[in-house]
Amino acid sequence: MSENLNQVSEELEVSAPVIDNSELDSNGLLKKRKKVSLDARKARAGYVFVLPFILGVVLIYLPILLDSIWFSMSSPDYATVPGDIVYDFVGFEYYIAAFTDSSGFTVSLVAGIQQLIFEVPAVIIFSLFIAVVLNQKMLGRAAFRAIFFLPVIVSTGIMETINASDFMSAQSQEGINDGSGQGGANEIISALDVEKLFASMKVGGELVTYVVSIVNDVYNIINYSGVQMLIFLAGLQSISPSIYEACRIDGATGWETFWKVTFPMISPMILVNGVYTVIDAFTRTENTMIKFIEKQAIGSTYKATAMSWIYFLVIMLIIAAIAAIASSFIFYQRRD
Amino acid sequence: MENSNAYVTKETKNSIHVDYEGKLSFKERMMSKLKTGNTWIKVAINVIRFILMLGVSYVILYPFFSRIAGSFMTKEDIVDSTVSLIPKHFTLDTYKFIITENHYFSAFFNTLLISLVCALLQTLVACLIGYGLAKFKFKGNTLIMLIVVVSMIIPHRTLQYSIAPHFINFDILTVQAWGYKGPIELILGKTLILNNSMWPLIILSITGLAFKNGLYIYLMRQFFKGVPDELEESAYVDGSGVFRTFFQIILPLSVPMMITIFLFSFSWQWTDEFYTGLFWSSADFYLMSDVYGTPPDSLLQYQTFAGWGLYQNVIQNTAGMLIIAPLLILYLFCQKYLVQGIERSGLVG
Repeated sequence: MSENLNQVSEELEVSAPVIDNSELDSNGLLKKRKKVSLDARKARAGYVFVLPFILGVVLIYLPILLDSIWFSMSSPDYATVPGDIVYDFVGFEYYIAAFTDSSGFTVSLVAGIQQLIFEVPAVIIFSLFIAVVLNQKMLGRAAFRAIFFLPVIVSTGIMETINASDFMSAQSQEGINDGSGQGGANEIISALDVEKLFASMKVGGELVTYVVSIVNDVYNIINYSGVQMLIFLAGLQSISPSIYEACRIDGATGWETFWKVTFPMISPMILVNGVYTVIDAFTRTENTMIKFIEKQAIGSTYKATAMSWIYFLVIMLIIAAIAAIASSFIFYQRRD
Repeated sequence: MENSNAYVTKETKNSIHVDYEGKLSFKERMMSKLKTGNTWIKVAINVIRFILMLGVSYVILYPFFSRIAGSFMTKEDIVDSTVSLIPKHFTLDTYKFIITENHYFSAFFNTLLISLVCALLQTLVACLIGYGLAKFKFKGNTLIMLIVVVSMIIPHRTLQYSIAPHFINFDILTVQAWGYKGPIELILGKTLILNNSMWPLIILSITGLAFKNGLYIYLMRQFFKGVPDELEESAYVDGSGVFRTFFQIILPLSVPMMITIFLFSFSWQWTDEFYTGLFWSSADFYLMSDVYGTPPDSLLQYQTFAGWGLYQNVIQNTAGMLIIAPLLILYLFCQKYLVQGIERSGLVG
């Protein structure tokens, strides 16, 4: 029955074109025109909306991309034609050189990826946790929200550079390492304390190092979690309250509700945030690799470009890996 | 109902107070509540949660406090270990010298103009593209969304060695390394020289390719997906065209989300030094990166001072405070829209 209804409504939609005044002639009758279905006309309108982007990509972005790829595979020749640069194609020479020469590219890359593997889960878990808390009714919620989203606005670009070179606050901050790497004496907890704590639990040394580094990097993790918090909060808001009501009536505890309702419903956001965190971490001014590549560029921009393309491919691989992991637990609610 | 003589004593938007015969006194009700363990657990959770939030807020806000405090200190206070947050010798000199000698106001107005134009364009363009991707089924819809994501993933820093030349000698459809002439050069006889102007940023903004525009487009798309189709359908039935519907019905609806995007793009453009560094090279066009880059001359004379390294940091932090001060004021006014816009977006996958 409902299937039939659906069919009927679909047919109705298609067969009821919108009539503009411009389509009527002076007698108020429909002008003779080529029959264009509503869907086709809507599709055309859709193209108009995305036209700026299509034009930008075709006219400007693609040439820039091709240029960049070409630069990474060619060497400039100033001698052949005087006053003009001729580019000799050298293939993957720079790419191979990046891995084989003594510039330390591989080391930086591995360090960058390690940093990322440590940071992404921390940022995601932290921002999800804070979003869940900020979604509950509590004293001073509006003020806390305002404070928590503050870093989104003021901790990018120039401020990031200033933060990184600032050891004043690290010294006065008695216990909070602000990520400048110079607050060694001021770490909140030392590895020793945590080891004591974990000794009885028989867990590996890696975990201890991980926990310690997260706690000591808490300032950066909080600062990098702003947008993710917003996205999670938006996701939480979109969960229908009636689901929670049903859970309460059936006697589910808060813990069960979180893992059986909130988590599956928010899981698409985890993928989005995972991808965003990777992009954000990789393209940040203070990223190890970005700094390394800029340093290389002083010597040869061509080689640096090749390195950045390798770097980009690595980002893509990591994002693909995150998407693959996430797809195993992501739950998409059917919306009718 | 039994208690027919129940009457409402107070009624507000969120709560209603009712008095009825046999109602226990406030004290008795509280006592009976306290006897159940549940209340204690709730109170404990609330307290722990509040303290945790306070702690995280402290981590976020402390650098601001310490920087603001430091900006009022003289160089003697900075090396004085007994001074932590309240300066002994209060001074405004650091601010004064940065504002006068590092051309703060000039940089302020230049940056304001750039950020306003870029943010307005980016917000509008993100709306257009997001709406097109969310509400219209056309061939290549998914492909375009994919390109949006990829354009965000490829760091512009990767491309900087080809972005800059492309705008210094601007032409469309040219791969400069291949050395052929583009349409603009064929028609005008020369390429357009766009550096030291706002055009590169305007062009990038209009085409939705500027800094983090992929994120804006994604957020707008998700927002528009949450807007029920019936709204537009009823407008179409009433004879409104696609564009009129968009500008008169959909845009007014999405103001909170647009303010969110505007806030993002404005403040990210405000603190940007990568793009302004790429496109501006003239020495007498001041930008925010000039404000914090080098300490003002009047303070440079203290270079021989023992705590110069620390002092230099304080100067830089003060400049940083001056740079973000307008953003903080803007944020105070807009932050409620930030949460509102996101809350109403109903983001789903």
